[in-house]
Parts: sequence; structure tokens; C-alpha cells
Amino acid sequence: MSETDKFTEDILQSAREKAENIIREARTETQRASDEAKVTISREAEGIVRNARADAEAVRRREVSEARHRTKLREQQEKDKIMQDVLDRVKKRTAQIVGDEAKYIPLLIRLIEKGLQELGEKSALIHLNKLDLKRIPTSLEGEIGRSVGHIKVEWSKEPIDATGGAVISNLDGKIRIVNTLDQRFEALEPKLLIEARASLFGE
Amino acid sequence: MSGIETVKIIVDAERQAAKMIDDAMAEAAAIRKQIDCLIHQQRQQMLAEAKKEAAAISSRAGEEGKLEAAKYEMESAQGLQSLVARASSRKDATVDKLVTMMMLVE
Repeated sequence: MSETDKFTEDILQSAREKAENIIREARTETQRASDEAKVTISREAEGIVRNARADAEAVRRREVSEARHRTKLREQQEKDKIMQDVLDRVKKRTAQIVGDEAKYIPLLIRLIEKGLQELGEKSALIHLNKLDLKRIPTSLEGEIGRSVGHIKVEWSKEPIDATGGAVISNLDGKIRIVNTLDQRFEALEPKLLIEARASLFGE
Repeated sequence: MSGIETVKIIVDAERQAAKMIDDAMAEAAAIRKQIDCLIHQQRQQMLAEAKKEAAAISSRAGEEGKLEAAKYEMESAQGLQSLVARASSRKDATVDKLVTMMMLVE
């Protein structure tokens, strides 16, 4: 090989190496870019799936939560129905007691005595409903007198509108203790509800 | 070989070398351009698959949630039925107890 041939071969060899380098660098660079892009895209794709899973979990929870809410509501409605029925029956039974003098008169006496004690006056006016006005005062005078003898008791001629029980007032009517059965039911209702709930549902 | 011929051969070799490098640079540019396109396609494909999977998950979740809710409601209905039966059997005793409370004036 001549010197010239050797020289030109060196030039071409050097150019070949440079060209290979240029292409190799481009390939390496693109491979790196491709790898990096894969990582980024994978992360993006995982994010989409992860969000879908989170949304799905939220959907599932919402369905179950709504079902729980509906169930709770139904349960509450059923309980309320039972409680209302019990309270209605208690009210009815209490009203029936008014017709049973053996049970009612002692109750009325206790209600009047309690009212007199709460009133704390030396004289008092007792108000009854129409039925009780007819049947009770004369028979009650002795009973009331026995326990609260120091209080002068008068019976109002005006009947009150109540199922039973009494309203006890001072003589000018400014202070009134309402011990009617209706008021008693109303006052006791929170306690009755607690007791009923415990007895019926063990709550 | 004359001097002129020698120079001509060398100049020709230099020209070939320059062309080799130009070609290599053009190929490198083509490779770089190709990768952008490839990455774009890859992205479209991977995201499309992810969206498809996401849609399947969402669709399944709605059905699974409804099934779970229905199961819960069915079990609760049975529980409620026995609760109502138990409470109903205690009604009379409860009424008696509450009437006694009404009668008890302290």
C-alpha cells in the first residue's frame, strides 16, 4: 500500500469512526429519552388507574352508606311506630282508670295533695273536671283533710277541661299547680319514652 | 503518481469523509425525530389502556357497591324483623310499666 493510499484510508477510517459515534450517541440519547418517557407515562397511567380505584372505593362506600342510612331510617320509623302505639295505649289505659274509682280516687287524692304541698298556701281552690265535680268533693273532703288538715280547701264550681286529675290554685287564682292527667302525661313523657325504649328495645 | 494526482485522491477522500459524517448526522437527526413519534405513540397506547382499565374498575365498583348495599339491606331487614317481633312481644309489659309510672305520684 502506497503512502497516499494509507493516508486516504486514515481519513476515511477517522470519518467512519466519527459517523459511528454520531449515530451511537443519537441512539443512546434516544434510548435514554425513551426509558425516561416510559417511566413518566407509566406513572401517569398508574395515576389514572389509582384515581379510578379511589373513585370506585368512594362509589362503593357511598352505596353502602346510603343503604345504611335507609336501613337506619326504616329501623327508626318502625321503632317510632311501636313507641307511639305504646304511648297511645298508656294514654288510653290512663283515661280508662278515671272510670275505675277504686284506682282513680287514690290517684286523684295524691295529685291534689301533691299540688297543695307545692302550692304552699294556707288556703287553696281545687278545680276538677265535670265528672269529678259531680262525684268526688264530698267523699274527698275527709281524705284530703287527713293529710293536709292545716290547709283550707275549697272546691271550684267551674269544671276544667281535662281527662282527670286536678288544678290546685290559691284563692285569687294567680298561682296554679296543674296536676291533671294530661299534664302529668306530658310532663312524664320524656321519662316514659326512656323507660319504653329500654323495655322494648333494651336501649 | 504525480503530485496533482495525489492531491486529487486526498481531496476526494476528504469529500467522502465529509459525506460520511453528513450522512451520519442526518441519520442521527432521523433517529431523534423517530423517537419523539415513538414516545407519543407509546404514551397514547399506555394511557388508552389505563383509561380502559379505569373504566372497567368504575363500572365494577358501581355493581359491587349495589350488590353489597343490597346484601346489607337484606341482612338488616331480617334484623329489623326480629327487633320488631321482640319489641311487639314486650308491648303489654311495657304499657303496664308506664301506666304504673303514671299512677305513681311521689
